[in-house]
Amino acid sequence: MAATRTRRTPISPASEPPAPMVPREFRLRLDPLLLLAVVGLVVCSVIAIKGATADDIEGQPLYYVYRQAGYGVIGLAVMYALSRMDYSRLRDLRHPLYGVMIASILLVFALGSAARGSKRWIELPFFRFQPSELGKLLLVVAVSAFIVERMRRPGRDTTARVMLLALLPAMLVMAQPDLGTSLVYVVGTLALLFVAGTPWRHFAALGALGAVAVALSLVALPAVGVQVLQPYQTDRLTSFLHPSDVSGEEGYQQQQSKVAIGSGEKIGRGVEGATQTRLDFLPEHHTDFIFAVIGETYGFAGAALVLSLYALLIWRGLHILTMAKNLYGALIAGGITVMLLFQIFVNVGMTVGIMPITGVPAPLLSYGGSSLLVTFLAVGLLQSISARSREVAANKGRAAF
Amino acid sequence: MPAPLEERRPPITPQLAVRVAVLGGFAFVLFAIVFFRLWFLQVLSGDDYVTQAAQNKVRKLRIEAPRGDIVDRSGEAVLVRTRQAPVVQILPDALPESERTLAADYGALTSAAERRRLAAAARLDDLERTRKRTKQRLTKAERRERKVLAKAAAQADKVPMPPMPEDPAVADLFKRLGRVIDMSAQAIHRRVIREVAQTPYAAVTVKVDISRAAYNYLEERHEDFPGIRAETQYLREYPFGDLGAHLFGTLREISPDELGESEYKGVDQGTRIGKDGVEETYDNYLRGQPGYERQVVDAMGNPCRTCKQPGSTDPDQGRRLRLTLDFGLQKAAQAATERGVAAAAANGSQAGAFVAMNPDNGEVYALGSFPSFDANVFAKPLSQEKFDALNSESTGKPLYNRAIAGVYPTGSTFKPVTATAALESGALGLSERIFDDGEYKLGPQTFRNAKNASYGSIDISDAMKVSSDVFFYTLGERLHELEGQVLQTWAKRLGVGRRTGIDIPGEFAGLVPDADWRNKGYAKYLTCVKKNKLGVGTQAALPVCGGIERPYSTGDNVNLSVGQGDLQATPLQMAVAYSTLANGGKVVTPHLGKRVEDGNGKLIQELRFPPRKRVQIGDATRKTVLEGLRRAAMEPGGTSYEVMKDFGAGEYTIYGKTGTVERIYQPDQSWYVAYVPHETRPIVVVVTIEKGGFGAETAAPAARLILAKWFGQNEDEFRAGRSDD
Repeated sequence: MAATRTRRTPISPASEPPAPMVPREFRLRLDPLLLLAVVGLVVCSVIAIKGATADDIEGQPLYYVYRQAGYGVIGLAVMYALSRMDYSRLRDLRHPLYGVMIASILLVFALGSAARGSKRWIELPFFRFQPSELGKLLLVVAVSAFIVERMRRPGRDTTARVMLLALLPAMLVMAQPDLGTSLVYVVGTLALLFVAGTPWRHFAALGALGAVAVALSLVALPAVGVQVLQPYQTDRLTSFLHPSDVSGEEGYQQQQSKVAIGSGEKIGRGVEGATQTRLDFLPEHHTDFIFAVIGETYGFAGAALVLSLYALLIWRGLHILTMAKNLYGALIAGGITVMLLFQIFVNVGMTVGIMPITGVPAPLLSYGGSSLLVTFLAVGLLQSISARSREVAANKGRAAF
Repeated sequence: MPAPLEERRPPITPQLAVRVAVLGGFAFVLFAIVFFRLWFLQVLSGDDYVTQAAQNKVRKLRIEAPRGDIVDRSGEAVLVRTRQAPVVQILPDALPESERTLAADYGALTSAAERRRLAAAARLDDLERTRKRTKQRLTKAERRERKVLAKAAAQADKVPMPPMPEDPAVADLFKRLGRVIDMSAQAIHRRVIREVAQTPYAAVTVKVDISRAAYNYLEERHEDFPGIRAETQYLREYPFGDLGAHLFGTLREISPDELGESEYKGVDQGTRIGKDGVEETYDNYLRGQPGYERQVVDAMGNPCRTCKQPGSTDPDQGRRLRLTLDFGLQKAAQAATERGVAAAAANGSQAGAFVAMNPDNGEVYALGSFPSFDANVFAKPLSQEKFDALNSESTGKPLYNRAIAGVYPTGSTFKPVTATAALESGALGLSERIFDDGEYKLGPQTFRNAKNASYGSIDISDAMKVSSDVFFYTLGERLHELEGQVLQTWAKRLGVGRRTGIDIPGEFAGLVPDADWRNKGYAKYLTCVKKNKLGVGTQAALPVCGGIERPYSTGDNVNLSVGQGDLQATPLQMAVAYSTLANGGKVVTPHLGKRVEDGNGKLIQELRFPPRKRVQIGDATRKTVLEGLRRAAMEPGGTSYEVMKDFGAGEYTIYGKTGTVERIYQPDQSWYVAYVPHETRPIVVVVTIEKGGFGAETAAPAARLILAKWFGQNEDEFRAGRSDD
């Protein structure tokens, strides 16, 4: 028997792909470019905060740096954990998630702490939690699920219901009052409708309704004595229309921000030379106006780098939207990406004087735990969507990207 | 089995593709807008913004620290304290351009005038040096030039005060302000111009102690009075008016030159520092630490509204200074001196001085000069007229502190010095007798005792008791014959004719005339007389070349031996000399500073003044001299016995010496020096009354009143004596 045995060489077809360098199980199933953008932005944030806040707390020049870096590390871990989860399971949790969102926003009214006249935070040990930030993400996740559910019955009815679902939290947040965040809610929801394929005419109708609402709240209702917006909010919204008038607080801040960015010129004035930041001419320099700090300290080069990282982030978001394995993923990706885009544009636009001051933080850049962690959660969801899509593609033998 | 709907991967429908493309395009447009905006701000118009950023400034506002109080030796009487007063200030930055230009021009003209003055002084100096080196006589032209230069160097040209600018804004503002604070617009204008020219950036204090109503009015109407602010400022206050007024000094803003001095290191421009008196000496303790408020101002000069104010610190009040001065004694001494002066009013006496000091350690219990002045006048801006009045001869120059800067011959109060020199040098034996027949002949001159008295055969102790001039003339002559100016050496050793080192500025050294000084002066006189073709010793030469008409001679020494002639000493120096004799050879450093304390009187630093040096005085000499002084005050027939008898029911031993200075064309000057030993409260008292007559007439009674106060003797009688020296 032994003689009949013939030596067999293993078949190695030429088409066999080379063995992966890293075993599949150990690979971080993350989108590397998205990761690059996120980590790059957090690094930029920490560097900018270090320069901006060195004099803020006597004896603790690195107070904000440590905290922001800590949030960054926690955020990365959270993002990774979320990316390993199947986001599709969140669909079934849409009701509790929506409920949690509304409840947490309401909770702020009960026991929130106020800063500059608006209640936005809940004091936790070591941390001030801002429910409206988390609400952005919960809204996208929950509303996307509602949309997917009603996909079989598209129509005016669906559009109206979805908008009502979004307007409820948006109105609550506006009452905090936090106009910027409530706008983010509305814009995010519009993006979901857009990606879901809502007809153009619905948008036209919504636009008309919106215009009427704005006209009512800004002109008609105050005329009959009902204040929808706080006077300072109206100031903020209108002051950037008169850039030469710097007498008001808002115009003054925006003017100082423009001076900061402009004086950075091409390569910036360095940390020591950044007088606008160091001497506190720039308001809120580590939160809302951090982009102006970067503009002043590192000039056009630094600001352009940050903008490029943002562009990378948005591109990857849209890319993941197109790759999503199901409509739910596509909706979440679209909602998150547009929300981020909106925040980026509103914040950066505010610092360069082309958008009104609304108090919207720069995603991943502004100091603040809530905003940073929520953005990481959002990116984690994007990563999860990306990972699932690659799984499916791998199963079907399609290139993931 | 097909996957459920939601798990199926939807194909990218054309519709979705379009929508994603729309989103992408939208995002692209937004990024493009921001990029171009950044490009515009940073690259195209960056320069403008750099300029704007540079105009955003931090203004460091100094918060003045209140100066420390000055208290007397008990710590209970607050002699100088700080109070807050409402003032009106004008901020030069906010003044109309026209007024600022005027001030700047005025400042430029004044500093140009000052530069011209300095240049003239330098040229004059140069001329003098050249002349000295070449030893040539000056030509007429050179002399004329020197005259012109001397005039130019003495005083800078007066720059006329510019009139009020045409600008109605200025006139209107000043007129309205003037109405509120009761000042004429012109006066405000003058003050503003002068102050802005001096310190262009400092706020101009227009008026202090404005009424509460005016203060509130200005406070509430900021908009109507741009650049004018009602503030509160720390002012010095002297609750006891003229008490010790000569000792404290005043405050004024630090000058640019002083800013560079190491003594004032870390002191900011605009800080008010002590000038004169203990305020100057102990400025670093009294000054305190100013606080700071960092005020951030933007390009428009508005305080930045969003900025926080890091680095704001509170001011720290200056330390409290405790003086050695005894409040009660100072008060009594001032009153006593005033009575002494009043007693000699018939002679035209106007002025006097006193010192009371601990002979063992130099602590000054009382020191002052009459007439005095209300120290409060210097706490506020002072008009030139008022200042001139305080310096004028007709009012007796109240600002002049005669106790440390008044230099006079001391009359017979100098005799203990002569006695010490004679005994120590061996020119006189301890019990050697000299016959005093009332006359002393030196060459063609005859010196006589006062009132032509003669005392017969007396020893040194007797001579001190009765103040025999003839006896001391003899000593003067004997000492002149010894090598090395023994009398002068001893005078200086004991502290006469040199600065005592008291801890307030303005002390005069005085003069102990010696051969060297007179011979040099005489040489000068001779050249001068010759040059001016005048006769030596003539009346014509006197005003031109001075009075040193002859070289040093025995007569000068004879004069010095009784404290007459060219001797120039201050009352404080006499106090030191007597202290040295009293304490056995310690030349103490008189001082007013005792210790530095915090606001509650807790000791921070003890101020120490070790004796300047020790002099070896033989015990026998010292005892003999003191015995003479004792007998002068305590034995019948002593020069001040009449004044001092029954003091304290004989409980105290008084060593006292009268002095009467003969002055040309003037009534005599009265002196008295007393030393009273005591276990815990020894004291040396010096009083001099200008034009006060004999020592026993005015100075000694005043000294008795001072001693009475010190030793708690309840007496108020001014016991003028009739002794003739």
